[in-house]
Amino acid sequence: MLSLENLRVVYQEVISVLHGVSLKVPDGKITVLLGANGAGKTTLLRTIFGLLPVYDGKIIEGNVLLDGTSLNRFHSSTIVHKYRITYVMEERPVFWYLTVDQNLRAAAFSRPNKEIPGGMDRVLKIFPKLNSLRHTKAGYLSGGEQQMLTIGMALMTKPKILLLDEPSLGLAPLVVRELFGIIRNLNEEGLTVFLVEQNAHAALSVASTGYVIEGGRIVLDGPAQELIHNKDVREFYLGAAGGDQQRFRDAKRYKRRKRWL
Amino acid sequence: MDFLQFFCSGILSGLVYGLLGLGLVLIFRASEAFNFAVGEFLVVGAFLFFILYFSWNVPFLIAFPIGLGAAGVFGAVVETSVIKPLMGRPHLSMTIITLGLANILSGGLQATAGSNPYNFSISLPDLTLELGLLIFPSAKVWAGIISLAFFCVVLLFLYRTRWGLVIQATSESQPKALCFGINAQLVLLLVWAIAAICISASGIVIANLGALSTQSTVVGLRAIPVVLIGGLDSIAGALVGGLIVGVVESLTGAYIEPFGLIGFKEVVPYFVLLIALFIRPYGLFGRVRIERV
Repeated sequence: MLSLENLRVVYQEVISVLHGVSLKVPDGKITVLLGANGAGKTTLLRTIFGLLPVYDGKIIEGNVLLDGTSLNRFHSSTIVHKYRITYVMEERPVFWYLTVDQNLRAAAFSRPNKEIPGGMDRVLKIFPKLNSLRHTKAGYLSGGEQQMLTIGMALMTKPKILLLDEPSLGLAPLVVRELFGIIRNLNEEGLTVFLVEQNAHAALSVASTGYVIEGGRIVLDGPAQELIHNKDVREFYLGAAGGDQQRFRDAKRYKRRKRWL
Repeated sequence: MDFLQFFCSGILSGLVYGLLGLGLVLIFRASEAFNFAVGEFLVVGAFLFFILYFSWNVPFLIAFPIGLGAAGVFGAVVETSVIKPLMGRPHLSMTIITLGLANILSGGLQATAGSNPYNFSISLPDLTLELGLLIFPSAKVWAGIISLAFFCVVLLFLYRTRWGLVIQATSESQPKALCFGINAQLVLLLVWAIAAICISASGIVIANLGALSTQSTVVGLRAIPVVLIGGLDSIAGALVGGLIVGVVESLTGAYIEPFGLIGFKEVVPYFVLLIALFIRPYGLFGRVRIERV
């Protein structure tokens, strides 16, 4: 189980982004993290994945634990290779100037050579569409195809835990549904998924547990089904207001809620 | 006939410039920094070989790979000590730091080696080429052959091996590469080592055409029009740019300098550069950027 304990993170020694975040990602489940822009979602993933030094960030307190082992000091290549966690950045991090085939091969860097053909077959089975695009440069693919390729590349690293940063970003609703279906299938095959999303409805419908992060703090957590019906989540993330109390008190009420959350 | 002689001789030196340019292009693609210390890299590499071959009398076939290996280690050390601490900073600061590095290295070279020229002539099998009226001296033919061979080996490594693929991927984006568990720091180290080897190899063959001194760092200036004409991020561009500079230089030396314009051949590559950049601002082979709208 991946767990974060009281994590505090600063950028450039001064910009405080996470103020004591604790959460748990149980094995074999889909856990979702919701949050507005600037809440610290991406920072949280970078912290787990050991990417903070690249962005001039630092953990000043707390721990990232995987089954009791602290990952704080590890480099991302160790985390992928030894601890089998793979992070899929937002905005579809495919290598634009390489072909689909080369992308998949490059992503398998942390695995021994002989695993590559098997891994490729598996990815092409999950995403049959990539088959006809194998020799196309990834930069020329559509957004949906790029996202498929990204997940395929992540699978080439043979992860046990997959950290997904806003996979639905910029995709058509139908593609999003297909994508979440695939994520659910992968999860059923035993992959642990930590999903960071703004598309609360789609994310909560596949997840088992959910957390809401706001201003660098976890403000709400619980089973996904409960969160979907939670009044605050409905109002702030699903855009479904309670119906009444829509008038002049809105602004004030929003503020109060935020503080309370 | 004269023309053909000068043209071919230009091609031979162009191959050497191409290899020099390749070193710069590799670094630019991976670190997005222009290595202004190229001239110093060249002289350091040549001196490493000089020590092995001339001072310690190691046979050429052993001294050459070991000298280049040492140059590779030198490149890797520069990367760890100078470039790596700047990770996460703007790329411009890496370019600027190579300027400082160039000064430190050239100062260090002058302090240790002095400024007198060292006699540098490797005894290699005589390959003097006589084709009718054309004559190419052995050292020049060797320079062309060694450079071309090196260029091909590096290309094969980049485009036919797993590590080459990873270098291409990391060159495109370090964060993306890190994401998929590619050890970007190791890749950068490797790229700087390979680049240092390319630059040193061309340094050795250039020194073999004349003599080696700490003033040889000015040859590094020749690399700037080479890579800019070809396109800073293009490997094919490095070769073509090298050939253009080599030929233009040789023809200018033969046909224009006799009119009293001594030293004009040092300048003429920059004229060509100017024209090339007017026509194609990214260089002749600069990467066609994939734009998504």
